[in-house]
Amino acid sequence: MKKIFSTAVILVFSLLLPVVLMAQNEEMFYRAAGSPENPKIQTSWNKYYTNQGIADLCKKLVKAYPGLVTMETAGKSYQGRDIIVLTITDRQTGKPEQKPGFWIDGNIHSVELQGSEMALYTAWYLCEMYNDNAFIKQLLKDKTFYIAPTINPDAREYFTSVGLPPRSGLVPTDNDRDGLFDEDGFDDLNNDKNINQMRRKNPHGDYKVDPKNPRRLIHVEPGEKGEYEFLGPEGIDNDGDGLVNEDGPGGYDGNRDWGFNWQPEYIQGGAGKYPFSLPENNAVRDFVMKHRNITGAQSFHNYGGMILRGPSLKEGGAEIYTDEDEEVINSIGKKGELILPGYKLLTLWKDLYPVFGGELDWWYGAMGCFVYSNELWNSYLMFYDTTKNDPYEFDKLLLFEDAFIPWQKVSHPVYGEIEVGGFGKNFGRLHPGFMLETDAHRNAAFCIYNAFQSPKLEITDVKVRKIPGGLQEVTATIENTRMLPTHSGNNLKFKIDPPDYISLEGGTVIAGMIVEDKDNNINREQKKNPGRLEIRNIPGYSHVDVKWIVKGSGNYAIKAESVKGGVTSFKVL
Amino acid sequence: MRKIFRKLFNLIIFLSVFHLTIDAQNQYTGYNSMVNRIRALSDKYPKACSVRSLIKTEGGKEIWLITIGSGKMDSKPGIVIAGGVEGRHILGRELALGMASSLLKESSSVEVKELLDKITFYILPDLSPDASEQFFSEMKYERTGNARATDEDHDFVTDEDGFEDLNKDGLITLVRVEDPAGKFIKSSEDDRIMAEADLSKGQSGKYLVFSEGIDNDKDGNFNEDGPGGVDFNRNFTFNYESFGPESGMYPVSEPETRAAADFLFDRYNVYAVLTFGPQDNLGEPLKSASGGEKNGIIKSILKEDEALNKLLSDKYHEITGMTGAPPSTKRKGDFFEWAYFHYGRYSFSTPGWWFSAEKDKNDEVAFLKYAEKNGKGDAFIPWTPVIHPDFPGKKAEVGGIKPFILTNPLADSLDVIIMRNYNFIKAVASMHPELEFLDINVENQGEGIQRISLKLHNSGIFATSPKIGEENMWTRVMRITAETSDGQSIISGQKVQKVERLEGNQSAEFSWLISGKGSVKITAGALNTGTVSTTIELR
Repeated sequence: MKKIFSTAVILVFSLLLPVVLMAQNEEMFYRAAGSPENPKIQTSWNKYYTNQGIADLCKKLVKAYPGLVTMETAGKSYQGRDIIVLTITDRQTGKPEQKPGFWIDGNIHSVELQGSEMALYTAWYLCEMYNDNAFIKQLLKDKTFYIAPTINPDAREYFTSVGLPPRSGLVPTDNDRDGLFDEDGFDDLNNDKNINQMRRKNPHGDYKVDPKNPRRLIHVEPGEKGEYEFLGPEGIDNDGDGLVNEDGPGGYDGNRDWGFNWQPEYIQGGAGKYPFSLPENNAVRDFVMKHRNITGAQSFHNYGGMILRGPSLKEGGAEIYTDEDEEVINSIGKKGELILPGYKLLTLWKDLYPVFGGELDWWYGAMGCFVYSNELWNSYLMFYDTTKNDPYEFDKLLLFEDAFIPWQKVSHPVYGEIEVGGFGKNFGRLHPGFMLETDAHRNAAFCIYNAFQSPKLEITDVKVRKIPGGLQEVTATIENTRMLPTHSGNNLKFKIDPPDYISLEGGTVIAGMIVEDKDNNINREQKKNPGRLEIRNIPGYSHVDVKWIVKGSGNYAIKAESVKGGVTSFKVL
Repeated sequence: MRKIFRKLFNLIIFLSVFHLTIDAQNQYTGYNSMVNRIRALSDKYPKACSVRSLIKTEGGKEIWLITIGSGKMDSKPGIVIAGGVEGRHILGRELALGMASSLLKESSSVEVKELLDKITFYILPDLSPDASEQFFSEMKYERTGNARATDEDHDFVTDEDGFEDLNKDGLITLVRVEDPAGKFIKSSEDDRIMAEADLSKGQSGKYLVFSEGIDNDKDGNFNEDGPGGVDFNRNFTFNYESFGPESGMYPVSEPETRAAADFLFDRYNVYAVLTFGPQDNLGEPLKSASGGEKNGIIKSILKEDEALNKLLSDKYHEITGMTGAPPSTKRKGDFFEWAYFHYGRYSFSTPGWWFSAEKDKNDEVAFLKYAEKNGKGDAFIPWTPVIHPDFPGKKAEVGGIKPFILTNPLADSLDVIIMRNYNFIKAVASMHPELEFLDINVENQGEGIQRISLKLHNSGIFATSPKIGEENMWTRVMRITAETSDGQSIISGQKVQKVERLEGNQSAEFSWLISGKGSVKITAGALNTGTVSTTIELR
């Protein structure tokens, strides 16, 4: 008996162990193009991660790829949870902060869960492909990814465990200004950890059951008798003020809390007392302000299938968009439309709504970065058809009615006998499981494309020539071989980041100049500190020529240092 | 020896404490003296006041709060008195401190005691202590930035080019250099004052004029990035200027700004904020210019709030006797406008003192005339030659109007100015919103059903909140509740109702139809109005 028991224990362990961390037996798989056939971290992308799951996966990545990944906390949420940030880059080719960086965050809005999965997938994919794919390997040699899977962990916890949280985090807020905080939120009347719709039988109601689909209610025709009325989301009047669900947990908008183009509540619903009033956003801000190498950012939201770009306000805010920036933003965005079928590049204020104090404006306006906000998932993706997008049919044919919570009778203290039901909180705005990996991969590819286009500086065409007086003339070209400039127009205008510095070491520099016209010898001399030339900007796909008059042996090193363009050097031998 | 020293030390302490208790004030109060004065007040009036620090600034100075009132102070209508919002207006801190001293000194008088029974004063004497201390330092200049190192000229170096006291007089004034390329000439109205040459009048410049100092970083600009800082009075959210001068990296970025905002937002009982600072809506009341707001952003006082501003402005002139106020200075991101537009409270601001200038005259010329007439003849530092390293071989001179003197009176007039403003504050405070029930009536409807009706009346002059507060998430609405006893039920009327706002001398009517005998308790109010309640017996 005892023996059987211990064998069982061994069996259980041997079953569990390989699943936890190790890559599986290679003979079992054949590689599909573009995906790791036998990743070190075995996971599947058809479910959502809890906070615990996110932290666990992040730790596993750090353990499996110590040369690529570090994990830190940028700060704490209101309820004290870590805001996890992964830094992913090949550490052998330089310090993370000396390479152009790309930021990804997800889940700023609590109900927009899958931003975290997009972010996590990107992190996982970059690590797992590093050894197998030349492009990814080079990308991580050149660039640094900063990935914050959730910047609203409190409300993620609420979503994945309790019920339907507000759009916000969970800082108590007195939405109805009666002196009581969060005293009248949704109530899970049937204890299914979902907040659904309430309906009540009522011969005066405006709705009836759809004869073709009994799960659905449809509006009655004029003159026709109804059977049901809708009574709003599940809840009761907890504080007895005659209003139902008017002051639930939290109740603000974390994406209206950023310190650029900010306006208060009466102009911008959801704004707090002042920008950066939320600890989660403070954490992100402090992290970003310390990592000025970040050139671009992606903030994941849902839903609608949009690649949103600024400006967020008609006529713009305090920021400027130059023609050059417009070209970059549109060019990358259009490539996004190709990468992400069903997604459209849209301008926030014009195509969605104006936003004051949004994260996007802060990234672009205050930090001088290129940024997109993707609204994940839309109904097109159900049948890859814009005209056929019936969620009931999709749920029936592809999800086998798993997304729908059948109407259930409940006794309500005010409304009497009612029914509660409808689509669950994991459907509608969120990807169904089987489509999650596809969209995660496409969005990761968009981020990778973005990061790839961040500036890459190369020092070329270095020439040393003897000139009279025992001096040498050193000329060089500094090329930016990618689409993004080292400084956006907005960055240049408000002098957000220092200029790029091109310096010559190993000799005494007598004069230094930027060559404006090589053929006609038109130069702009830098009088102060000529050994370290200041270049305001190196635009995408362009170059600058520099020239020094030097006294020295000829063993020079030329170095290009750019906050957002990275550091590179060239040795003259 | 040591003993003698200690005795001497004690004597000095005694003398300095003694000095504090003397009423007459003949100098401005430096930071350390301010702390002593505040501590002395809390020692002397432990019941009527409490003091604490909201936060420490980057410069290591505390933001002090003096709370004056009685009983549950945070549950009564509150007035905030703010000083030092802009470091160069040192009078503001003196006035705020003066209000605290005066209120406490009179706290046993019938008038003030009654006031302190009903309302609470929150006095923040100095919101820019890092900056205002420059007045008391060995090199005086009108500083507004706090101690945070900033890159004012966006050259990616912080605090690299400040003033230098070239003539060693302890004051930062102006430098003028004789140079045909200069744009300045001596003013025709007063040849001590430098004015810009007007080409259209055939004038051509003879002087370069800039502030006292050298070009430390050799960028062609003088003193453009000195020590500090962020200006408290540019760091608030209303009309905030991104990338503006001394405005900070983002709104409410500074510890003291955030602490002040947090403190105020937490005080839902505050109904009015009075600032002693450069901005002014008491000398001349604000006028509504509504219509055509971009994106709906309200940038001028609401029509409904004009009348009270007008009343207070009239009272200010009447009580202080001050007339002819110069036009108010506008400042982006300032505290006073924030208190109205974004904090949603009544907000008033006055410099507390000004000199009456003749119109159409250069301000500085007018001031020098005023100074001479009022026996303040030493307001000007005469131009004297200096050797300026940036202008070898050229004639450079230092001189000009002393810093601070244009907007801060001489210390010997502080007592009078404090008293005038104190009398005004007392008058304003007595106009606070106050709720009462009127016409409480019970009608028997028969069959055990009775109707209670009453009016909720604001007997104050102030409305329960300004109109601007209506749209504000961070102001409270009044609640009126009817609590019934066992066996009673409300047949008609709500158990809980909200009342957004009552103007001064305005009332709202309520009624409830109640079945059953027993007592019904009606309670109404909010933190900013105070709460009233009454119990009605239904027999």
